[in-house]
Amino acid sequence: MSSRGFHRGMRAFWYVMLFFLYAPLAVVALYSFNSINSSAVFAGVSLRWYAQLFSDETILNAFYNSLTLAITSSIIATVIGTLLGYGMYTYRNRRLGWLIWLVYLPIVMPDIVYGISQMSFFTSISNATGLFQLGLGTMVIAHVSFQVPFVALLIYSRLVGLDAMLFEACHDLYAKGWQRAWYFILPTLRPAIVSSFFLAFTLSIDDFVISFFTSGPESVTLPIFIWSAIKKGVTPEVNAIATLMIGAVFAAAVIALAFQYVRAARPRAAD
Amino acid sequence: MPRTQDARTQGAFATRASESPKRREPSHFGHLMAVISPGVIWIVVFLVLPSAYLMTIAFMTNGTYGLPRMPLTLEAFKELAGFGFLGWSPGNLYTLIRSIWQTVLSTSLVIVMAYPIAYYITRAPARMRPLMLLAVVVPSWTNQVIRAIGWMNILSPGSPVSDLAASMGLIPAQMGLFPSKFAVVVGLVYNFMPFMVLPLYAVFEKLDYAQIDAARDLRAGPIRTFIHAVLPQTLPGLLAGTVLVSIPAFGMYVIPELLGGGKSMMLGNLVARQFAAASNWPLGAAGALIMIIATLLGLLVLRRMGKKLGGDSQVVL
Repeated sequence: MSSRGFHRGMRAFWYVMLFFLYAPLAVVALYSFNSINSSAVFAGVSLRWYAQLFSDETILNAFYNSLTLAITSSIIATVIGTLLGYGMYTYRNRRLGWLIWLVYLPIVMPDIVYGISQMSFFTSISNATGLFQLGLGTMVIAHVSFQVPFVALLIYSRLVGLDAMLFEACHDLYAKGWQRAWYFILPTLRPAIVSSFFLAFTLSIDDFVISFFTSGPESVTLPIFIWSAIKKGVTPEVNAIATLMIGAVFAAAVIALAFQYVRAARPRAAD
Repeated sequence: MPRTQDARTQGAFATRASESPKRREPSHFGHLMAVISPGVIWIVVFLVLPSAYLMTIAFMTNGTYGLPRMPLTLEAFKELAGFGFLGWSPGNLYTLIRSIWQTVLSTSLVIVMAYPIAYYITRAPARMRPLMLLAVVVPSWTNQVIRAIGWMNILSPGSPVSDLAASMGLIPAQMGLFPSKFAVVVGLVYNFMPFMVLPLYAVFEKLDYAQIDAARDLRAGPIRTFIHAVLPQTLPGLLAGTVLVSIPAFGMYVIPELLGGGKSMMLGNLVARQFAAASNWPLGAAGALIMIIATLLGLLVLRRMGKKLGGDSQVVL
């Protein structure tokens, strides 16, 4: 068999795959500029759905809720997750198998089980005590619980990539615990911490199911708004919000990539 | 490149630690607890406890308004198997079987598509690889609901794709490819592709080409080379990917709800319905329990594979 033909076939398959991956997003963006209310026929370019979007109080409120939720939960998750990742690294030679289980659990568990167990848990507690009423508060709690493992694993993997001798050097220079944290670990991890914040942020914005089940009547976020709008029938307005959200994710991706290249460039410069 | 360094540093760290056990901070255990406890407590209180609570609900009695009451029974499981007031009906079992079938089908399709992609990325120039991986992952960063809207647009009645399918006689004219079981499978495959590409990429990156050369030298054809020299090496990644795809796919809620009609309902939808309109928490919890068991089994496999893969952190991102 000819390896050149094989390679060409693979390359063609790669482009087909890229098309498959991006076509649905492109279609959403395309129809958001449609001048008529149709998801099958494109009549002409117009910005009317965007104009409608920015004058709709409900949507602006949902946007505000989404942002509050994502920023609050990401800050908490970045702090807690960084500590956890650091702990996992420092004590990786100990028998901490249960910890790995605990960290993987939120990643693997189906969203629906996740959302429903938290919903029934919070509902029962609030029925009994009045605390944890479903709303933005419970949503933040739920989001943090699935963001933490991702942050921890990202920090852990960056620490594994470091030379352990650096930790030893700190010790040899008689750095105290807090000095080591402040002058060595935090600066070294800064790119990883920033990118894990963005990762947590996109995870939060990306989530629908868990938000849906842990939300209350007052805490409608953009995905929940979109969901109820689709249930009533897709409107071009929904395409417009979706397009803006896709744009935000792409921006986050560019930032993440920039950080990755900065990180990749650094050791090379040191060599 | 980071992996070799990893092996080296881990070795150094291990010997150093065993040489001088007392050189570290005095409160070892205290330090460990201080750094990991916020995360551990958060996950235990807000995820493990609620899951345990949900599992208890599955064994409780359905009270008024769907809220669970005390006597512990197995009623919910009987109901899940189809035994209701009106005798036995296969509805719930069909849903269960359909979930398994759609999961198997979409996971297989994901494997067939992701395998060559992961290989292709490893063969690309090193500087291109992060970019290519990102290109595969970025769509999955957008909201699930938005991705489903994309497919609703593409497959809706009157869209070019639906018209094409109709002109080929695959579907009746004026009909759309959505809502349908087909649309659900497309949505699942689309949703979970990256979860298969990443672990496969991790194993392809470490592929030992000497084995392939050896197979070639022994005059094995391309198929036998693949089966004996490539496939066994990629098996850990394949299994990890299968877990990461099939477990969430099995419990999928959004895609069947939006892209499928009532006839494409999966277990996730059945469960969700019990907590909303149908109001039967124990029945819903019993369904969720099945998913939790599947999740734990999946974790078991993942842990095994994680050890073989080495840098298991890379696998999940």
